[in-house]
Amino acid sequence: MIEGGWFRRLLRKSRPNALGLRRRILLTITFGSIALSVFLAITTYGLTQNNLVRQAETAAVRTSLRNAQSVTQNLSSNPPTAQNAEDSLTNIGVQRFLIRYQGQWSGGVPPYVDSVLPPDMIDEVLVRGEPSKQIVRVGDELNVLVGWEVPNLGGYFQFTSLGDQVETLDSVRFNLLLASLISTGLGVLLGIFSSRRAVRPLSTAAQAASAIAGGRLDTRLETTADPDLGVLTDSFNDMAEALQQRVERDARFASDVSHELRSPLMTLSASVEVMDARRDDLPERAQSALDLLSSDVVRFQGLVEDLLEISRFDAGAIRLHMEELLAAEFVRQAVAVSAAPQLPLHVSDRSELAIIRGDKRRLARAVANLIDNSLAYGGGEPEILINVVEPDDEPLAHIQIAVVDNGPGVPPEERQLVFERFARGGGAGRRTGSEGAGLGLSLVDEHVKMHGGRVWVEDRLDGQPGARFVIELMASELDD
Amino acid sequence: MGHHGAVGTRILAVEDDERIRSAVKLALEDEGWIVDVAESGEEAIEKFDRSTPDVVLIDIMLPGIDGFELCRTLRRTSDVPVVMVTARNDTHDIVAGLEAGADDYLTKPFAPKELSARIRALLRRIRPRAQGHARLVFGDLELIPDEGKVLREGAEVHLTKTEFRLLCELAESPGKVLSREALLDKVWGYDYFGDGRLVDVHIRRLRTKVESDAANPRHVVTVRGLGYRLQT
Repeated sequence: MIEGGWFRRLLRKSRPNALGLRRRILLTITFGSIALSVFLAITTYGLTQNNLVRQAETAAVRTSLRNAQSVTQNLSSNPPTAQNAEDSLTNIGVQRFLIRYQGQWSGGVPPYVDSVLPPDMIDEVLVRGEPSKQIVRVGDELNVLVGWEVPNLGGYFQFTSLGDQVETLDSVRFNLLLASLISTGLGVLLGIFSSRRAVRPLSTAAQAASAIAGGRLDTRLETTADPDLGVLTDSFNDMAEALQQRVERDARFASDVSHELRSPLMTLSASVEVMDARRDDLPERAQSALDLLSSDVVRFQGLVEDLLEISRFDAGAIRLHMEELLAAEFVRQAVAVSAAPQLPLHVSDRSELAIIRGDKRRLARAVANLIDNSLAYGGGEPEILINVVEPDDEPLAHIQIAVVDNGPGVPPEERQLVFERFARGGGAGRRTGSEGAGLGLSLVDEHVKMHGGRVWVEDRLDGQPGARFVIELMASELDD
Repeated sequence: MGHHGAVGTRILAVEDDERIRSAVKLALEDEGWIVDVAESGEEAIEKFDRSTPDVVLIDIMLPGIDGFELCRTLRRTSDVPVVMVTARNDTHDIVAGLEAGADDYLTKPFAPKELSARIRALLRRIRPRAQGHARLVFGDLELIPDEGKVLREGAEVHLTKTEFRLLCELAESPGKVLSREALLDKVWGYDYFGDGRLVDVHIRRLRTKVESDAANPRHVVTVRGLGYRLQT
């Protein structure tokens, strides 16, 4: 039990680490099979040993009794000398015996002499007159030693070698050891196999779960006839179904709302345009009001578009329209249609040769959103840089599009947060602008991720105050 | 303010939402177009026959005959430029609209100025530099730019104005590959961010008319990753 306790403690202690279910199953089966084969080996060995020794003893008792009777006979007839008895035994091939006659030992051949006889046995046979049996080691060899009384005259002791039995037991021991090793090995294999088997449904479930997390909401586990797994499968599928319905309902709601908003927006934007054309006819106060109205109609439109795009993300309904684009040309065009078409653009020589694959309108939206963000929070006009990530002697694989502003920067604890929906930069005065619905940067994040790239914000590289927003995309080199 | 649109150019705007219809009519009239409106597909067909507009603007979501159906109906008898208006910016609606025969599309809410720009691009007079040639021959295909005619194996093929312009642009540099962007710019007047699907769908439609086997085009050939080219 101490061992069990230690084992359990080991398991418990290492549970937070890497001792997973599979390893636990494997360990249990391995230890189980070791224990079982050791137990079987020991039992088998013990039984075999008992059996062999008992047979040898029985045989020894039987032959020694016969010999003792012959000795008795010899000693009882004339002339009663130990030599006769000795000779008659030697004649029939008996070795390793001792005869006690008239207080004298005879027949002993070294090392089988009277000095190896245990005193208690001599006592038992010669004094109390009872037969006795013991296993004694003489030199290197085990022997069954049987003692018989020769009534009124002395005693007869005979050694019977157990050498054959010991040899047999040695070979049995070797074979059992081998068998134990083999069965332990088989146990480990069985453990590996069954732990894999046991964990397979779990890894299928894990794959399905991560597929769902990745947006494939219609992922389900295959139903199974296995009642143990059926519970897991069914409840997993129920959960996925509920989740899908809920997500789809939310996405549909957002999408429906946005669609409904488009019609009044259409009327608004057309009407504002009509009024704008007659702006000069309006009194000054009405002009100011009209300017507010028209700029917020534009902002409202942007919001609705962002919301729609987000709901498309949530419904997994985005289909990218992928094309091969010259990175630098693409960024120039994207800046040209952004809110600040005159922004300074620094394109490294090598990035002029970079090709990216992407949905140009969505990527341009991402670039435009970063520019909008910098215009709103970044203290004036940002600077845009395009660089290749890899050093010159390595093949071109990634490009970075960086929007570098002069604002207060983004504190490290908010650098993740700014890419979340409706998460406006809180601290450091980044709330000053009226622009920025809080969807812009989250859209950048989603768009760039869909293109297999990443976006982040960091400090300016030149140590000046300000933020550096970076879009990193996979790219390849233009081959002529 | 009638200085933007070409003089006397008539637009038929089909839109079921009364407020949008009024606002769009006001804004387009400001841009200098003559605007007729219809609130359903049925009314549009009737007005189309009476007033023969130069451009038709169709909202896809209409009660009764929907926008796709209306477009197909008009296309049976006319090559008038059609601009589709979708409330949804999804691929399915856009491609379906283009395949129904629309020349271009806009998504709501659009700026009327943008619509005017699209209309002007569609109405731009065809001035292929190939005008000098009386006729251009590409195997069994004959192009007569001055008359706006295309013959296949001697028989006239009926193309819409946009399809004809697309063919003319390709014919201007025979054998040379034109990228989607170049075609978008030349035919539709779009900048870098124009929708390449406009080109793809129109090329597909063009092939059903000028190729003997549209699935294995011999004249209007796709050059993977680059664009399209016209060959004999």
